[in-house]
Amino acid sequence: MTATESSAVKATTGVPFTLNGQELHAEEGELLIEACDKNGVHIPRFCYHKRMESVGMCRMCIVEVDTGRGPALQPSCMLTVTPEMKVETESEATKDAQDGVLELLLANHPLDCPVCDKGGECPLQDNAFAYGPGESRFVEEKRHFEKPIPISDLVKLDRERCILCDRCTRFASDVAGDSLIHFIDRGSSTQVNTFPDHPFASYYSGNTVQICPVGALTAAPYRFKARPWDLTGSPSTATVDSSGSRVLVQSSQDKVVRIQGVDSDAVNWGWLSDKERFIYEANVSEDRILQPMRRAVDGSLEPMRWNDALKQTSEALGKKAAAIGGARLTLEAQHVWQKVLADEFSVVSYDASLGDDVSADVVDSLPKATYDWAFNAGSVVVVVGQDLKEILPSIYLRLRGVVKDGSVELVEFNYKSGSLAKLARKSVQSRPGELAKDVKQAFTATPGERSSDLNCLVDTDKPLTVIFSRPNVAESADYLTEALQVIQSVRPDAHFLPAFRRGNTVGAQLAGLTPGVREVATEDEIIVEQVAVVGRPTAEILQEAANGEVETLLLLGADPISDFPDKALAEAALDAVNTVIAVDCFENPSVASANVILPVAMYGEVNGHFVNSEGRLSPLGARVTAPGLVRSDLEIAASLAKTAPQSNSDAQSSLETSHMLGSEPIAWDLLELSSEGARIKTPTKPIQRVKADVPTVADGLRLVIGNKLWDQGTIVENSRTLAGLCETFKVRINPADADRFGLTAGAEIVVKNAKATASVPFITDSSVAEGVLWAPANVRGFDPRSFVTFSESVCYVEVSAGEQK
Amino acid sequence: MGYLAGFPITLKKWFEGVTTKNYRAGKGGKSDVKAPKPDRLHGRHVLNRYEDGLEKCIGCELCAGVCPAKCIYVRGADNNPTDPTSPGERFGFVYEINYLRCIHCDLCVEACPTEAITESKLFEFSFEDRKSAIYTKNELLVDEDGKPQQLPWEDWREGEDKATSGWMRATAPSGDSNYVGKVAWSGELGYGVRQPESVELTIKPKSGDSK
Amino acid sequence: MSRLTSAAVIEAEEIIARYPRKKSALIPLLHLAQAQDGYVADDAMEHIAELLDITPVEVLGTCSFYEMFKREPVGKYLVNICTNISCQLMGGEELLHHAEKTLGIKSGGTTEDGMFTIEDVECIAACTEAPCMQVNYRYAGRLDEVRFDKIVSEIREGKLAIPAHGNLGDVKQHIPQERESGIKPPEQTEAPAWFVRRMSESESEVTINANK
Repeated sequence: MTATESSAVKATTGVPFTLNGQELHAEEGELLIEACDKNGVHIPRFCYHKRMESVGMCRMCIVEVDTGRGPALQPSCMLTVTPEMKVETESEATKDAQDGVLELLLANHPLDCPVCDKGGECPLQDNAFAYGPGESRFVEEKRHFEKPIPISDLVKLDRERCILCDRCTRFASDVAGDSLIHFIDRGSSTQVNTFPDHPFASYYSGNTVQICPVGALTAAPYRFKARPWDLTGSPSTATVDSSGSRVLVQSSQDKVVRIQGVDSDAVNWGWLSDKERFIYEANVSEDRILQPMRRAVDGSLEPMRWNDALKQTSEALGKKAAAIGGARLTLEAQHVWQKVLADEFSVVSYDASLGDDVSADVVDSLPKATYDWAFNAGSVVVVVGQDLKEILPSIYLRLRGVVKDGSVELVEFNYKSGSLAKLARKSVQSRPGELAKDVKQAFTATPGERSSDLNCLVDTDKPLTVIFSRPNVAESADYLTEALQVIQSVRPDAHFLPAFRRGNTVGAQLAGLTPGVREVATEDEIIVEQVAVVGRPTAEILQEAANGEVETLLLLGADPISDFPDKALAEAALDAVNTVIAVDCFENPSVASANVILPVAMYGEVNGHFVNSEGRLSPLGARVTAPGLVRSDLEIAASLAKTAPQSNSDAQSSLETSHMLGSEPIAWDLLELSSEGARIKTPTKPIQRVKADVPTVADGLRLVIGNKLWDQGTIVENSRTLAGLCETFKVRINPADADRFGLTAGAEIVVKNAKATASVPFITDSSVAEGVLWAPANVRGFDPRSFVTFSESVCYVEVSAGEQK
Repeated sequence: MGYLAGFPITLKKWFEGVTTKNYRAGKGGKSDVKAPKPDRLHGRHVLNRYEDGLEKCIGCELCAGVCPAKCIYVRGADNNPTDPTSPGERFGFVYEINYLRCIHCDLCVEACPTEAITESKLFEFSFEDRKSAIYTKNELLVDEDGKPQQLPWEDWREGEDKATSGWMRATAPSGDSNYVGKVAWSGELGYGVRQPESVELTIKPKSGDSK
Repeated sequence: MSRLTSAAVIEAEEIIARYPRKKSALIPLLHLAQAQDGYVADDAMEHIAELLDITPVEVLGTCSFYEMFKREPVGKYLVNICTNISCQLMGGEELLHHAEKTLGIKSGGTTEDGMFTIEDVECIAACTEAPCMQVNYRYAGRLDEVRFDKIVSEIREGKLAIPAHGNLGDVKQHIPQERESGIKPPEQTEAPAWFVRRMSESESEVTINANK
């Protein structure tokens, strides 16, 4: 291959330089290796990665460069193009240098390629084949280390194979900010390792496996599962959260064995959180429900035929029915379910979110930002709610990048400071009920009652994006809404970016599966028209169910007992209804009370579309066959339409068509095209003013229930490797509060209020705001929701020292 | 009458005699003695062991990957460190060859990094159903003495099990200088080590090497 | 052994205050830990990480780069015997073997009473004194078996005052006022050890440059 074969459009302005005799232009300040890439000349490399700062560790990208002082060998990843630079990438000297570098890299590299996970897709193999000397002059014994050592629950390290390129360690410290792996020792015994008893417990550890240019880092779930030449892949989108990270789902022998991040400029830049990367393990869990089940009189599950299951479901939905859940579904399935529920069964109560996230109506009323818009240099990002690392981990990396290099200013309003608090211009530790007040203070010049330096956003007129998430399920959702309205009234030009925990929440909103006033386009006309109020909030549905006004409750992949803020109400509701129908893949606390379980296809088994929190439409690829008698959501909904009592043939045929062709749940006119695919323009509606209750002041601490990335979610619990990552319950209290209440570290404390009393372990944590008791949601050991009364806008608890153990 | 022009050729061939060779020796191919087979005939595979009895297969699946007929299925598993099946981390846990598909091209033998799979010169074996055409590790693996298993439905003859080891193993100039220009053979359990053979040296020294 | 003592923490904070970035105080703090325990304990590294707001593995990365930071307990006296070319020619290896025999330990080992650790080191830049060694980084040159035994017995008897292992940090941290810049005019520098020794061969059997 020669440079001339490249079809890339050659730049005609910029820094002129000569590459292999060709007169070319590079951008100002561009690295030589990048300029060569752009012009179709590939320079071999190991350590250089375009999303990280180059270090020139491996010397593989050495080329002959003449800057007027005669030709010299220089690493192209450390060299910016200068005018009249003459570069030879195929000269004799360059080839000799590449030969030498490879021979030295291979001097200590073990020849266990046949059993190495990387063998077949290994940059070291490829480069040795293309640029290497072909044979080695080394006859000495190679360096030996203990074969793979686990550096975390997810990643294994084989130090013999490491070529010390610094990619993983650079990623850990520069990109992820979890500097838990490092070069240890010196010279020929240099190795990458962790500190004893401090494992590489990062949310992003899987990325190091993907960028490792050799097989030194391997992922525990993928290790020895397949050989690279066996793998076939489908481009898809991660659905564990609403970030919409682009992925490649790879399978071998009809099983998903690996998910790799795809470098998408607009979204995730190739990085994934471990949850997005390793979520596929649940697909092959032994506990997966593979055929329709009905609950027998004695409470055990017994298999049933699909026809009977659908008939029973159809009959049950014909009575007074309500549905919860659906944020897991594809956009097409959401659309068809909404149609089936509303048109065929006349169900009016349905809600895809579970009352523990931001309400769809609020989101609809705000002008949206894209990630690119939010993270553009010279703008301000305001995070309101929770630490983005726990909610949208892969987008957190992009935010961290721009905040770290100073191009974007970050201001946080959290109850527990986020992971970027140290880099932020201001991290405000707010308290439940005071969010709007603190936000307002930040935009006001007058000193407030708490501190004057809160006024950090007064004089800024830079573009402003608000990334918001539900900060606390133990408080009224109105406080967040109020805070957002404050920002919108002070800065009408502000853009907003919701950080939903559940994957396809925006899709559910577009498909009309969330409650609120909807504007949708009709099929024939492009004109956007107003339609009536649809759906009902989950809280109302559950309340009605608990009152006995609902006969059938349909759970579309929802687990309200684990997720809904008021656990008692969810339990009462599931108890009170006659029939619970669960469309799910596993048993969970809510499915345990289901009368009929319809087994459903999982990630990697269905085609469709996904809408991320920006509104970006991206495809979901089916890579493997759904096991057992499992059907997709779309198939289930479409089959139900046929059995519906008031089924009309028009709707049926439209469903069948949409089933076969892939439906069009959104009017294509609403799509705008950007370089990275389609994004949905959501029209902004007039904001509905919310005036939240002024919190009552009481003694004790205000309870905050926040989210952790690893919790006892249904899919995570059923993944072999991920299940162990969920922490055990511990509350966090500001050291000042601990002193005030006389709490000693190491002992358990007694937390009580009118609803419950419990003795729980605690730690002091200065990132938690004063006057707040921070508890993680849905982790092992204890459920803090037992303190919550849903009708109260702020939940107070009293703490006292427990008995010494 | 132009078609008659072809007949002289037919007649000429008639008297040329039979060129087909009967692989059974003896008159008219009646005897049970068979014609000698070439040294490097590709026959039924064997899975070899090292001299200490450990299996050579490491379950790398390179043979399965390279197989043009896709007739090999391999799955590896982790060795039990206290009682390993093969040296190193992994061993071939499942090894199956479907002889209805195998074309005996020997690419698997070339791909094998440990000389675990080689081919004997046995080619007379038959099966009555599709299932028994799939040889598993039980049939392919050599016995404790390193000799191929002679299964009841196979017709093994003298010497057919010999010289099955890595016949491709030409030594690199950078290796043992005693073997420059010679084909070396790996040790075979049960058969010892064969003497290296001389071959034409096709790898020319690089221009810079002599300096 | 342990985390830094409260006295050491006070000194650590003083050191940290000297630098514009906390992380820059890493190596002085490692010296501090080594002065405390004779080696840098894992707990001490964790403590340093807390003080400097970095991760323990970053401390370990720096600590393990430098040979003179020990991560395992060593004897009170660390004996580094040079076996590089000059010393080897002058009997360095024989000296090492002699040391191993007399102390009853192999290179890298520590005597049972915790007094001596022998290390086989590369050139320690005293080739004129070959064969040479260092005891807690204080030089002894022109050695033979007799002189080696004499040094060992003098140390055991307490005649030879060499500070215990791990005090280099102290030396570095308390530079005398007049030497703060670290540069002295040539006429003020002391004569080199070999020169002094050759001039006054008879004065002392053994020359040890114990500068504390």
